[in-house]
Amino acid sequence: MSRVFSRQRVLLVTAAVGLWLLLTDGDPASWLVGVPVIALALAYGERVAGPAGTPLSLVGILLFIPFFLRESLLGGIDVARRVLAYRPRVQPGFARYPLSLRSAPARVLFANTVSLLPGTLTVEMRDQEIELHALDMRGDYYTELARLERAVGRVFGEVH
Amino acid sequence: MLDAVGLALIGTGLVFFAAGSIGLLRLPDLHSRLHALTKADNLGLGLLAVGVAFLAGDLLIAVKLLLLWLLVLAASAASAHLIARHARLRGQGR
Repeated sequence: MSRVFSRQRVLLVTAAVGLWLLLTDGDPASWLVGVPVIALALAYGERVAGPAGTPLSLVGILLFIPFFLRESLLGGIDVARRVLAYRPRVQPGFARYPLSLRSAPARVLFANTVSLLPGTLTVEMRDQEIELHALDMRGDYYTELARLERAVGRVFGEVH
Repeated sequence: MLDAVGLALIGTGLVFFAAGSIGLLRLPDLHSRLHALTKADNLGLGLLAVGVAFLAGDLLIAVKLLLLWLLVLAASAASAHLIARHARLRGQGR
Protein backbone atom coordinates (compact mmCIF):
# COMPACT_ATOMS: atom_id res chain seq x y z
CA MET A 1 0.00 0.00 0.00
CA SER A 2 1.72 3.16 -1.12
CA ARG A 3 0.95 6.52 0.45
CA VAL A 4 -0.72 9.15 -1.71
CA PHE A 5 2.17 11.58 -1.19
CA SER A 6 5.13 9.26 -1.59
CA ARG A 7 8.52 10.89 -2.19
CA GLN A 8 8.52 9.50 -5.70
CA ARG A 9 5.16 11.09 -6.59
CA VAL A 10 6.05 14.49 -5.11
CA LEU A 11 9.27 14.45 -7.13
CA LEU A 12 7.51 13.50 -10.36
CA VAL A 13 4.75 16.11 -9.93
CA THR A 14 7.36 18.80 -9.21
CA ALA A 15 9.33 17.81 -12.32
CA ALA A 16 6.20 17.73 -14.50
CA VAL A 17 5.01 21.14 -13.24
CA GLY A 18 8.49 22.60 -13.82
CA LEU A 19 8.59 21.18 -17.33
CA TRP A 20 5.15 22.59 -18.11
CA LEU A 21 6.07 26.05 -16.75
CA LEU A 22 9.19 26.06 -18.89
CA LEU A 23 7.39 25.01 -22.06
CA THR A 24 4.46 27.44 -21.65
CA ASP A 25 6.32 30.47 -20.20
CA GLY A 26 4.00 30.17 -17.19
CA ASP A 27 0.92 31.24 -19.11
CA PRO A 28 -1.93 30.74 -16.55
CA ALA A 29 -4.48 29.72 -19.21
CA SER A 30 -2.23 26.80 -20.22
CA TRP A 31 -3.01 25.00 -16.95
CA LEU A 32 -6.45 24.25 -18.40
CA VAL A 33 -4.60 21.71 -20.55
CA GLY A 34 -1.58 21.19 -18.28
CA VAL A 35 -3.31 19.89 -15.16
CA PRO A 36 -5.25 17.08 -16.87
CA VAL A 37 -2.25 16.19 -19.06
CA ILE A 38 0.10 15.92 -16.08
CA ALA A 39 -2.43 13.89 -14.09
CA LEU A 40 -3.03 11.49 -16.98
CA ALA A 41 0.69 11.13 -17.74
CA LEU A 42 1.59 10.32 -14.13
CA ALA A 43 -1.34 7.90 -13.70
CA TYR A 44 -0.47 6.13 -16.95
CA GLY A 45 3.23 6.04 -16.05
CA GLU A 46 2.49 4.34 -12.73
CA ARG A 47 0.20 1.86 -14.42
CA VAL A 48 2.85 0.89 -16.94
CA ALA A 49 6.06 1.08 -14.94
CA GLY A 50 4.75 0.59 -11.39
CA PRO A 51 5.13 3.03 -8.50
CA ALA A 52 8.60 1.87 -7.45
CA GLY A 53 11.32 4.29 -8.47
CA THR A 54 14.39 3.02 -10.26
CA PRO A 55 17.57 4.54 -8.83
CA LEU A 56 19.52 6.55 -11.39
CA SER A 57 23.29 6.83 -11.44
CA LEU A 58 24.59 10.36 -12.01
CA VAL A 59 27.88 9.06 -13.39
CA GLY A 60 25.94 6.74 -15.68
CA ILE A 61 23.88 9.65 -16.99
CA LEU A 62 26.95 11.85 -17.53
CA LEU A 63 28.62 9.05 -19.50
CA PHE A 64 25.45 8.33 -21.46
CA ILE A 65 24.97 11.87 -22.81
CA PRO A 66 28.15 12.08 -24.94
CA PHE A 67 27.63 8.48 -26.10
CA PHE A 68 24.07 9.31 -27.13
CA LEU A 69 25.02 12.52 -28.96
CA ARG A 70 27.89 10.85 -30.81
CA GLU A 71 25.76 7.90 -31.91
CA SER A 72 22.90 10.20 -33.03
CA LEU A 73 25.37 12.12 -35.15
CA LEU A 74 26.92 8.96 -36.64
CA GLY A 75 23.47 7.40 -37.17
CA GLY A 76 22.21 10.42 -39.11
CA ILE A 77 25.36 10.74 -41.22
CA ASP A 78 25.39 7.00 -41.96
CA VAL A 79 21.81 6.85 -43.19
CA ALA A 80 22.14 10.11 -45.17
CA ARG A 81 25.23 8.78 -46.99
CA ARG A 82 23.51 5.51 -47.78
CA VAL A 83 20.39 7.08 -49.29
CA LEU A 84 22.31 9.74 -51.22
CA ALA A 85 24.62 7.20 -52.90
CA TYR A 86 24.07 6.61 -56.62
CA ARG A 87 22.51 3.27 -55.77
CA PRO A 88 21.21 3.28 -52.16
CA ARG A 89 23.70 1.09 -50.26
CA VAL A 90 21.45 -1.13 -48.18
CA GLN A 91 21.08 -4.84 -47.58
CA PRO A 92 18.24 -4.90 -45.06
CA GLY A 93 17.25 -7.79 -42.85
CA PHE A 94 16.13 -8.80 -39.37
CA ALA A 95 18.43 -9.80 -36.52
CA ARG A 96 18.22 -10.68 -32.84
CA TYR A 97 20.17 -9.51 -29.84
CA PRO A 98 20.04 -11.22 -26.41
CA LEU A 99 19.03 -8.56 -23.89
CA SER A 100 19.92 -8.90 -20.24
CA LEU A 101 18.63 -5.51 -18.99
CA ARG A 102 15.76 -6.18 -16.59
CA SER A 103 14.09 -3.00 -15.32
CA ALA A 104 11.35 -1.49 -17.51
CA PRO A 105 12.88 2.02 -17.83
CA ALA A 106 16.27 0.56 -18.81
CA ARG A 107 14.66 -1.60 -21.48
CA VAL A 108 12.65 1.35 -22.85
CA LEU A 109 15.74 3.57 -23.02
CA PHE A 110 17.65 0.76 -24.75
CA ALA A 111 14.88 0.10 -27.29
CA ASN A 112 14.53 3.78 -28.18
CA THR A 113 18.26 4.41 -28.45
CA VAL A 114 18.76 1.36 -30.70
CA SER A 115 16.65 3.17 -33.31
CA LEU A 116 19.03 6.14 -33.22
CA LEU A 117 22.20 4.08 -33.56
CA PRO A 118 23.66 3.71 -37.07
CA GLY A 119 21.79 1.04 -39.01
CA THR A 120 19.54 -0.51 -36.35
CA LEU A 121 15.83 -0.17 -35.55
CA THR A 122 13.90 -1.85 -32.74
CA VAL A 123 11.12 -4.06 -34.02
CA GLU A 124 10.06 -6.24 -31.09
CA MET A 125 11.00 -6.57 -27.42
CA ARG A 126 10.77 -9.99 -25.86
CA ASP A 127 11.68 -11.08 -22.36
CA GLN A 128 15.22 -12.24 -23.12
CA GLU A 129 15.91 -10.72 -26.53
CA ILE A 130 15.22 -7.86 -28.86
CA GLU A 131 14.38 -8.27 -32.52
CA LEU A 132 15.76 -5.51 -34.68
CA HIS A 133 15.87 -4.44 -38.27
CA ALA A 134 19.32 -3.84 -39.72
CA LEU A 135 19.80 -1.52 -42.67
CA ASP A 136 22.87 -3.46 -43.76
CA MET A 137 23.26 -7.06 -42.63
CA ARG A 138 27.00 -6.91 -43.41
CA GLY A 139 27.61 -4.54 -40.48
CA ASP A 140 28.77 -5.59 -37.02
CA TYR A 141 25.84 -4.60 -34.82
CA TYR A 142 26.56 -6.93 -31.97
CA THR A 143 29.51 -4.88 -30.67
CA GLU A 144 27.56 -1.61 -31.00
CA LEU A 145 24.54 -2.99 -29.15
CA ALA A 146 26.71 -4.46 -26.40
CA ARG A 147 28.26 -1.00 -25.88
CA LEU A 148 24.80 0.56 -25.76
CA GLU A 149 23.58 -2.06 -23.30
CA ARG A 150 26.49 -1.32 -20.96
CA ALA A 151 25.88 2.44 -21.26
CA VAL A 152 22.15 2.06 -20.48
CA GLY A 153 22.90 -0.39 -17.67
CA ARG A 154 25.19 2.17 -16.04
CA VAL A 155 22.44 4.83 -16.11
CA PHE A 156 20.13 2.59 -14.07
CA GLY A 157 22.84 1.07 -11.89
CA GLU A 158 22.45 -2.40 -13.44
CA VAL A 159 26.06 -2.42 -14.67
CA HIS A 160 29.03 -0.82 -12.96
CA MET B 1 29.71 35.58 -35.78
CA LEU B 2 27.20 33.63 -33.65
CA ASP B 3 24.57 34.29 -36.30
CA ALA B 4 26.82 32.78 -38.96
CA VAL B 5 27.36 29.65 -36.84
CA GLY B 6 23.62 29.44 -36.22
CA LEU B 7 22.77 29.74 -39.91
CA ALA B 8 25.40 27.15 -40.85
CA LEU B 9 23.92 24.71 -38.32
CA ILE B 10 20.39 25.34 -39.59
CA GLY B 11 21.57 24.77 -43.17
CA THR B 12 23.27 21.50 -42.21
CA GLY B 13 20.13 20.42 -40.35
CA LEU B 14 18.04 21.02 -43.47
CA VAL B 15 20.39 18.80 -45.49
CA PHE B 16 19.61 15.94 -43.09
CA PHE B 17 15.87 16.62 -43.27
CA ALA B 18 16.17 16.42 -47.06
CA ALA B 19 18.16 13.18 -46.76
CA GLY B 20 15.41 11.71 -44.55
CA SER B 21 12.76 12.51 -47.16
CA ILE B 22 14.97 11.25 -50.01
CA GLY B 23 15.45 8.02 -48.05
CA LEU B 24 11.69 7.69 -47.74
CA LEU B 25 11.44 7.81 -51.53
CA ARG B 26 14.49 5.75 -52.46
CA LEU B 27 14.71 2.93 -49.93
CA PRO B 28 13.15 -0.41 -50.88
CA ASP B 29 10.89 -1.34 -47.95
CA LEU B 30 8.96 0.00 -44.98
CA HIS B 31 11.53 -0.86 -42.31
CA SER B 32 14.45 0.65 -44.22
CA ARG B 33 12.44 3.83 -44.75
CA LEU B 34 11.87 4.12 -41.02
CA HIS B 35 15.66 4.20 -40.54
CA ALA B 36 15.91 7.26 -42.78
CA LEU B 37 13.01 9.03 -41.07
CA THR B 38 14.10 8.44 -37.49
CA LYS B 39 17.86 8.93 -37.71
CA ALA B 40 18.25 11.60 -40.38
CA ASP B 41 15.33 13.71 -39.19
CA ASN B 42 16.37 13.49 -35.54
CA LEU B 43 19.86 14.70 -36.36
CA GLY B 44 18.37 17.37 -38.62
CA LEU B 45 16.10 18.62 -35.85
CA GLY B 46 18.98 18.58 -33.34
CA LEU B 47 21.17 20.73 -35.61
CA LEU B 48 18.23 23.02 -36.35
CA ALA B 49 17.54 23.44 -32.63
CA VAL B 50 21.17 24.28 -31.81
CA GLY B 51 21.25 26.69 -34.75
CA VAL B 52 18.09 28.48 -33.63
CA ALA B 53 19.48 28.63 -30.08
CA PHE B 54 22.57 30.42 -31.43
CA LEU B 55 20.38 32.90 -33.32
CA ALA B 56 18.15 33.52 -30.30
CA GLY B 57 21.11 33.97 -27.95
CA ASP B 58 18.87 33.35 -24.94
CA LEU B 59 19.50 30.62 -22.37
CA LEU B 60 15.82 30.00 -21.58
CA ILE B 61 15.00 29.52 -25.25
CA ALA B 62 18.02 27.21 -25.62
CA VAL B 63 16.84 25.02 -22.73
CA LYS B 64 13.36 24.96 -24.22
CA LEU B 65 14.71 23.91 -27.62
CA LEU B 66 16.76 21.14 -26.01
CA LEU B 67 13.66 19.86 -24.25
CA LEU B 68 11.65 19.96 -27.45
CA TRP B 69 14.37 18.01 -29.24
CA LEU B 70 14.35 15.32 -26.54
CA LEU B 71 10.53 15.11 -26.56
CA VAL B 72 10.47 14.76 -30.36
CA LEU B 73 13.24 12.12 -30.17
CA ALA B 74 11.23 10.07 -27.70
CA ALA B 75 8.03 10.42 -29.74
CA SER B 76 9.70 9.54 -33.03
CA ALA B 77 11.63 6.55 -31.65
CA ALA B 78 8.44 5.22 -30.05
CA SER B 79 6.28 5.70 -33.14
CA ALA B 80 8.95 4.20 -35.43
CA HIS B 81 9.08 1.16 -33.14
CA LEU B 82 5.27 0.81 -33.18
CA ILE B 83 5.08 1.06 -36.98
CA ALA B 84 7.99 -1.41 -37.38
CA ARG B 85 6.40 -3.85 -34.95
CA HIS B 86 2.96 -3.65 -36.52
CA ALA B 87 4.36 -4.16 -40.02
CA ARG B 88 6.42 -7.14 -38.83
CA LEU B 89 3.36 -8.74 -37.20
CA ARG B 90 1.36 -8.23 -40.38
CA GLY B 91 4.06 -10.19 -42.19
CA GLN B 92 5.70 -7.38 -44.13
CA GLY B 93 9.42 -7.36 -44.78
CA ARG B 94 10.50 -10.98 -44.69
